[in-house]
Amino acid sequence: MNHLRHVGKSVKRKDGPDKVTGRAMYCQDVKLPGMLTGRILRSPHPHAKIVSIDLGKAKALDGVKGVITVEDTKGIKHGFVETPRYPADQEVLARDRVVHVGEEIAAVAAIDEVTAQAALELIEIEYEILPPVFDPHKAMREGAPEIHPSHPKVAEKESYANIGGKTESGWGDVEQGFADSYYVREDRYESHLRTHGYLEPQVTVAQWESDKLNVWTSSMGAFNKRAKLAKVLDLPYSSVRVHKAYVGGAFGGKVDLYSHEYCAARLSMLTGRPVRFVASREEIFSAYRHGQPLVVEIKTGVKKDGTLVAQELRIINNSGAYRGSGVVVVFLAWGFTMAPYRVPNLKYEGYSVYTNYTVRAPQRGHGCPQVRFAIESQLDTIAEEIGVNPIDIRLRNARVADEELPNKDNTHEAGLQDCIKIAAEKTDLVAKYGRDRKSPPKDSSIRHGIGIGISAYMSGTLIYPNGSGVIIKMNDDGSAVVLTGAIDLGQGAETIITQIVAEELSLEMDDIKIVSSDTDTTPQDIGAWISGLTYVTGNAARQAATNARVKLLGVAAEQMNVTADDLYLDNKEIISQSNPDNRLSYQQVIAASVANHHGDTVIGEGFWRTMRDEPNHPSLATTKGRWTENYAYSAQTAEVEVDLDTGEAKLVKALTVHDCGFPINPGLVKGQIDGQVSMALGHAFMEEILTKDGYTLNTSWLDYRMPTIHNMAESEDADVITEQYEVGQSYRTKEVGEGLVSGILAAIANAIYDATGVRLHSTPFSPEKILKGLRELERQQKAAE
Amino acid sequence: MKQPLSLHINDEIHELNLAPNKTLLEVLREELDLTGTKEVCLLGSCGACTVLVDNRPMLSCATLAVACKDKKITTIEGVKDGNDLHPLQQSFVEKGAVQCGYCTPGMILSGKALLDENPNPTKAEAAEAIAGNLCRCTGYAQIIDAIVSAPEIADSKSTKTQHETLAGTLDSGPYLMPETGE
Repeated sequence: MNHLRHVGKSVKRKDGPDKVTGRAMYCQDVKLPGMLTGRILRSPHPHAKIVSIDLGKAKALDGVKGVITVEDTKGIKHGFVETPRYPADQEVLARDRVVHVGEEIAAVAAIDEVTAQAALELIEIEYEILPPVFDPHKAMREGAPEIHPSHPKVAEKESYANIGGKTESGWGDVEQGFADSYYVREDRYESHLRTHGYLEPQVTVAQWESDKLNVWTSSMGAFNKRAKLAKVLDLPYSSVRVHKAYVGGAFGGKVDLYSHEYCAARLSMLTGRPVRFVASREEIFSAYRHGQPLVVEIKTGVKKDGTLVAQELRIINNSGAYRGSGVVVVFLAWGFTMAPYRVPNLKYEGYSVYTNYTVRAPQRGHGCPQVRFAIESQLDTIAEEIGVNPIDIRLRNARVADEELPNKDNTHEAGLQDCIKIAAEKTDLVAKYGRDRKSPPKDSSIRHGIGIGISAYMSGTLIYPNGSGVIIKMNDDGSAVVLTGAIDLGQGAETIITQIVAEELSLEMDDIKIVSSDTDTTPQDIGAWISGLTYVTGNAARQAATNARVKLLGVAAEQMNVTADDLYLDNKEIISQSNPDNRLSYQQVIAASVANHHGDTVIGEGFWRTMRDEPNHPSLATTKGRWTENYAYSAQTAEVEVDLDTGEAKLVKALTVHDCGFPINPGLVKGQIDGQVSMALGHAFMEEILTKDGYTLNTSWLDYRMPTIHNMAESEDADVITEQYEVGQSYRTKEVGEGLVSGILAAIANAIYDATGVRLHSTPFSPEKILKGLRELERQQKAAE
Repeated sequence: MKQPLSLHINDEIHELNLAPNKTLLEVLREELDLTGTKEVCLLGSCGACTVLVDNRPMLSCATLAVACKDKKITTIEGVKDGNDLHPLQQSFVEKGAVQCGYCTPGMILSGKALLDENPNPTKAEAAEAIAGNLCRCTGYAQIIDAIVSAPEIADSKSTKTQHETLAGTLDSGPYLMPETGE
């Protein structure tokens, strides 16, 4: 490991200089000659029939160049999920009916924003109001307003209405398990609606030139966007080019195809001019896709020592008005349940329920914080009831290395046990736990508490485009250009890919230029939304470098009259181990390759697919099939202060102990951890999308409070490096960019309990809920006296 | 309706003809293609569009361009050290204070306003300076670190420059040595 020069080091970001000088080009900075401004007309109603649309006045307005409705589309549907069981379910513009406030009905392209907005106001629509439903439990009842018919596979057996999809899984015999348990309890936990909070608004610029659509769009993977856009436009992939642009944060919110992307493209095709859509912050808050609140009903049985015997979970996901990623969340919630702890008997069912809310998207953690909050909260309650401390109960149940999971995945070098032990040691958790409850300080209203939460996260799975390719072009001076479809959202994709190539080809970081995320000029890439970019694209980059290295070594061996295995690479030279004076520069080797190998300039190509022997992704409905190659594990602790007078709780210190495999760039890993702690802090205490009758009430950051510097907690971390990296060897880097919003949320809830004795069953952990809990405790105490 | 207006931006004078309701942000991004200043919330709630007006941080989305007449405006494009990165920019790169980059220009200008007035700020002072700038990626710790570390980087840069100058003089041969007057 000591010989590594680039990987494993906190190398500076490749895109740093562009971003600190304002040179970095984002979609919003793209300006094309003759560009029109697009705006979207959105539904003012949560549920209504569209009786008629009159575009006459809008089209007649000076400066309006194009107006479209669903009649101008080919009626091709799209969906976050497009499988035989869950086919695409959403048109790009509403047809006949709207099912949520903000649903896209028509779009205008005009010479400027004022004209576009004026045109929207001239579109006349007659609606017939239909009854809406917002609560998922009410939506499930027979006779509830039907948003879409229940999925036929569910409808065969159950009478629930509005079921978009269901995940059902389990093993063993839970009833027997509960009967055999020493202690059994049932709880219910709820989470709330939050937005992603990406700073860069959603932007699309589309330019149609005779048979080619050029697109710049805020995304998390250019190839996924290309596939969806080409599909709804009915164009071959070769006619759609998604260009590179930096992305100003995404956190899950920029994966899906959005209607404005289609509208920009279609209006450019119709007007012959470039068209740009920029979503206003108000639109993002009120009409775009947020995360997915879950209701988690959980019943757990344990032995006397805390060993889990049986667990039964029923999860209800309010998935909004179309399927979105709702059916994925109820699958993932199962995965995030079974990955960290051994549960010998499990029964799981998750329902994704349509309501008249905006559609829901993936959001950093994608179901994990919601289920970990539930499971970890209940586990602490159980631990206390049976008299086991929070660390022991976790160590007893936490998965160990080389365990086969029920889905045939393997935990490989899982470091979860170490994570828990180190977290406990570093915080002295067992000694601190319960201190303020046992002997409350007399002269202060402030109580201190500590809590722990753990989680496991997958590191990439099989979903389109399934694999990544990387091409390395050696320049004839020995430097290199890397072509990768990877997209840098801020996580540092360009930097880690460059580090890997620099390591494998013994180049300096500055010798390498990276060309990324362009569907025409770079190879296909899985994207930055499936938690596997570093693993999948990183290994593709390693393969490409290996391919180039083998070529260089082969040519060098001929020139130097030695065998290739006598040679090694060092700083753009190839050197003979047996005679170090026998050496050639890359420049000389490449010149020899061109001269003697029919002009071969040395191009390395590499590709990678996770779980290469698996035909497909696991079943969302039954969970059958392998899910991921590598599980990242973590234990997180939270130390909080709660003011008993005001009910206000505050995260003071977070510790994250994680196993992300081998960190290619520890500095970037640290950046991900701190960002996730900060996001979880917002989740726990500050952020909530407030709605009434399907309308969003807080549509700006003035009313939706995101953490500022003044809300920050201290965030520390430690890693448990379980897998090493060696030049030329494939390696298991693991996920580190989203799972860590989860354990910390649970840890905060557990710490609030530890400080106050108040067990919270829903997020956010507001002063009102804490005060209510304190009053309830007082009442119970008085009743007991 | 348009009116002539001359704006002094990054040491250049721009003679413009503008509607009086144009914000400074609109003028920077749309008229002058200075797109380093980011447009995010248009409500003064996020700080991403921060620029310096007479060395004070201002929200360009909430500032009318006409209000900047006869004032000196600095945008991210004007933050530099000759052809090099400004020490604060370098510090942002070195300390990992940049992720997606959308808050970065505003953060750097808020930080620069502080450093120009107070060359050795404490962490608390740095926190106060960026209290109006939202960052969703980093959790802020690295940004604070970058601001308080900038003076050190500035020092090492100026020391390095002196060395380089001296080395350059010596390497270029004795005939360029200062004349001794003998």
